[in-house]
Amino acid sequence: MRLVYPWLCELVKVPGDPESVATTLALRGFEVASIEHGRQPVIDFEITANRPDCLSTIGLAREASAAYGVPLRMPDRAMPAPGNGPSVDVAIEDADLCPRYCAQVFEVGIGTSPAWLQERLEAAGVRPINNVVDVTNYVMLEMGQPMHAFDLARLGGRALRIRRAKPGEKIRTLDGVERTLDGDMLVIADAARPQAVGGVMGGADSEIDAKTTSMVLESAYFTPASVRRTSKRLALKTEASTRFERGADVDAPPVGIARAAALLHQLGAARPVGRIVDRYPAPRPPVTLALRGARLTHVLGLQVPADDVPRILTPLGFTVSPSDRGGAGWQVEVPTYRVDVQREIDLVEEVARHYGYDRVPATFPALASPQAPPDARTLQDRLVRQVLTACGFSEATTFTFIEQQAAAPFADGAEPAALANPLSEKFAVLRPSLLPGLVDACAYNRRRERRDVRLFETGARFGPAGEARAVAFAWCGAGSVPNWSAATRPVDFFDVKGVVEALCGAMGATPAFEPATRSYLVPGRTAQVLDGSGDGARAIGVVGQIQPAILDARGFPAAEPIYAAELDLDALAALGAGDIQRAEPLPRFPAIVRDLSILVDDGLPAAAVRGTIRRAAPPTLVQLAEFDRYRGKGIPEGRVSLSLRLTFRSSERTLTDAEVDEAMTRVVAALEASHGAQRR
Amino acid sequence: MDIPQIKQQFDRELASAASEAAVRALRDKYLARKGGVASNLLRDVASAPAGERPALGKLANELKQYIDTQLTERLAAAAARRPAGETVDVTLPGRAPALGHRHPLTLLRERIEAIFLRFGFLIVEGPELEDDYHNFEALNMPADHPARDMQDTLYLASPVTSAVGSPATLLRTHTSGMQVRYMEKFPPPVRLIAPGRVYRRDDLDLTHSPMFTQVEGLVVDEGVTLADLKGTLFAFAHELFGPERRTRFRPSFFPYTEPSGELDISCASCRGAGCAMCKNTGWIEVLGSGMVHPAVFEAVGYDSEKYTGFAFGVGIERLALLKWGIEDIRLFYENDLRFLEQFPL
Ligand SMILES: [Zn+2]
Repeated sequence: MRLVYPWLCELVKVPGDPESVATTLALRGFEVASIEHGRQPVIDFEITANRPDCLSTIGLAREASAAYGVPLRMPDRAMPAPGNGPSVDVAIEDADLCPRYCAQVFEVGIGTSPAWLQERLEAAGVRPINNVVDVTNYVMLEMGQPMHAFDLARLGGRALRIRRAKPGEKIRTLDGVERTLDGDMLVIADAARPQAVGGVMGGADSEIDAKTTSMVLESAYFTPASVRRTSKRLALKTEASTRFERGADVDAPPVGIARAAALLHQLGAARPVGRIVDRYPAPRPPVTLALRGARLTHVLGLQVPADDVPRILTPLGFTVSPSDRGGAGWQVEVPTYRVDVQREIDLVEEVARHYGYDRVPATFPALASPQAPPDARTLQDRLVRQVLTACGFSEATTFTFIEQQAAAPFADGAEPAALANPLSEKFAVLRPSLLPGLVDACAYNRRRERRDVRLFETGARFGPAGEARAVAFAWCGAGSVPNWSAATRPVDFFDVKGVVEALCGAMGATPAFEPATRSYLVPGRTAQVLDGSGDGARAIGVVGQIQPAILDARGFPAAEPIYAAELDLDALAALGAGDIQRAEPLPRFPAIVRDLSILVDDGLPAAAVRGTIRRAAPPTLVQLAEFDRYRGKGIPEGRVSLSLRLTFRSSERTLTDAEVDEAMTRVVAALEASHGAQRR
Repeated sequence: MDIPQIKQQFDRELASAASEAAVRALRDKYLARKGGVASNLLRDVASAPAGERPALGKLANELKQYIDTQLTERLAAAAARRPAGETVDVTLPGRAPALGHRHPLTLLRERIEAIFLRFGFLIVEGPELEDDYHNFEALNMPADHPARDMQDTLYLASPVTSAVGSPATLLRTHTSGMQVRYMEKFPPPVRLIAPGRVYRRDDLDLTHSPMFTQVEGLVVDEGVTLADLKGTLFAFAHELFGPERRTRFRPSFFPYTEPSGELDISCASCRGAGCAMCKNTGWIEVLGSGMVHPAVFEAVGYDSEKYTGFAFGVGIERLALLKWGIEDIRLFYENDLRFLEQFPL
């Protein structure tokens, strides 16, 4: 709302310059967007949605009057004596959408407005058009009541029907656009057809122009929700609809006509003819609220002196009388323009606003009992970040909604959940996985010549079962930090698998890996991650190499691999990872270490070999690790040399070489029997 | 032979011995069993008159010991300086382990969480998908409420199961839904913050994003006042921005709070004098807040006469832009490592 400073001063003699007014009202809830100096200084206020009454000069003047303690002087609103003649017939057929409608016929002489009026309108941001339209705009800016003028000669008859539109009914509005209406929209119609969309915009067919000699001035109150719905559906926002949809003053329509008549008379532009028509089938009783002094103190945390309550509320237009109930309190009648004041708490705010938030002390709420620990998910996220940043991954933040084409390959055949009203195709569906965002982030960095990228993200993903939490990470470029001392090796499967193992370990899971297929991962380089710590193996994620075709589609060089993994944080949380039960004592007896090299079939999984060894060896086998895998010269075609280190230790005694030898013999025999292994 | 003279000569020669080899040569010259200066001296003692022999012998021995100690020390010092094998160029770069950076929004979120943990707040997290009731209706924003325009909403094409297992129709526009859910489940007192991603139908540009991060707070108990809200917000602002920044609390409007207020801090770039950054007001808006509207208490079944409370919400992106002088909000979502790696670990 552009408040024209001299206009304000005409209504309230504010003892301050525009800066002072701006600051004073800012501290009462009216944020200042800008101050413009010049012949007509303007303060542009941001009016919050609850204060439609302050989309007017009088509304803000009332606030200034209360703030400065200076009286408000209302402009001349005396209706000039009307000439003889017929008025119009008004029938409100849908009073739920239009509770009140006033109309007055005028004889007019269309011309231009005087300079002072034009200047004021321009300062307020409204383009002057002609004396009649300018006066209606002036009244709207002054008191917040939107009005509309119909050319009486261009209406079909002298009867106005305030009714719902017929579905499909058409109207060409003042902006020249033909609009199709639906049955929930309110129109002002003559006998034949709509001449205005109620509270939103007039029709072009009855628009006043230079030839107009007789007009009907409308000043009405329309139901906010209805105007809001219509304005939204027609995608048509006007000065009038903005005011009506937030709530205009139901008592203002006749006042608005009187004020406009007085101004038109003053300009010599028009003269009322016949009586004003005021249809108000169900007058609303005034709202009266009780305000308790104790409640005021209870909410604000300070004692407002009793005298200050009427001192604050009266200039704002409230009628305050002492309560006849016990204790300090008041009966407060709410003016009709204060649609936001509906219950006691709203009065508490009024008092606080003008008493001054700066006079409220700064205290701290008492804490009666110790607080519970933070949400487990917050703590889990922190642990994930700690581990992954230590593994060299930086944290990414990618959008929750992504392109359909980016999402589809990761949805595993399901249809990604779509938004009903996306901003653009780029933000069309909910991400089924965190991986597409990370692939795009890798591509973004790669295009900027950053080849070695490690990124991770935690957050929500949306699968067929709905919203769930996940962590994902992606790694491309070098498998180690490049250094002058050695050639860098490109990242491979075992780099990311190692990170999965570290992360699972940190969260108390014992991951197991088995070959798997995912449409977005390269076959043969894809594993499903299972938790093997419980009784049944539970799927907790996936690890592998992203399909080059996807990389190509997202602008990443298809020849360069991105390895990635995604883990289900909800599943990991369910494992109940936490503290250890007790610290194990350190071993008291020495270990015996044996290395074993065997030839096995190339396709035999390491896990199978390990399983056979574990089953064959006594419980004194405490550690088993692969330390070499070799194919090629000296090894028969189709076979591979596998070297393992076995560590034996007892917690009760020192083992003898003989018993370890015997264990090794059993292990080798089992490997021979199960896998046709040959010891080398 | 004059013993002090020999000592003097030795000291001189040792002082000018520049290399380890020169020191070794001195050892040969003075201490060689055959022909060494000290050995010769002891032999001379034997041929001295019997009366002088004991005194002379003592002096000669002391000199020999002195020379031996000096040479041993010098050789030991030289050995300590000698490299064990090949030398290294210590100016070449080391093999640094890879260390990742947390996202700046996380960094700030964790700082904010740390402050409120010290203030005795609980941290709760909730679903990002919400239903109309928890996002709007329970918060005093029934259908067709004008305030819904303040938070233009992204809706789902068809309902999706949220993280709490209920059918959701929209992307939450704030984390307040979580507070409603908490109040539905637990009686007062309540003292919590709810951080997380929120969504609005705003085009992505320099200062707006359809997705951003929020921390909302809620305190409910008997006797919680607007003064408590003001004190809590001022303490928070001073913790986060530093005690030298001035704070201001002024009225505002939110449908779920009444009275409502916004917190401002004095502009850092003009120190309150007024500049482009603060729209010439000298103040920068930090967050919105207010006393919980009785209608919200009624929706969750709290006694609105007995209990009062306050709520606040702060956008982390906005704070991050202010704090680090970042001019483009999109940098937070592009994940350019050159940007991410600027922030402390
Ligand atoms: Zn400034």
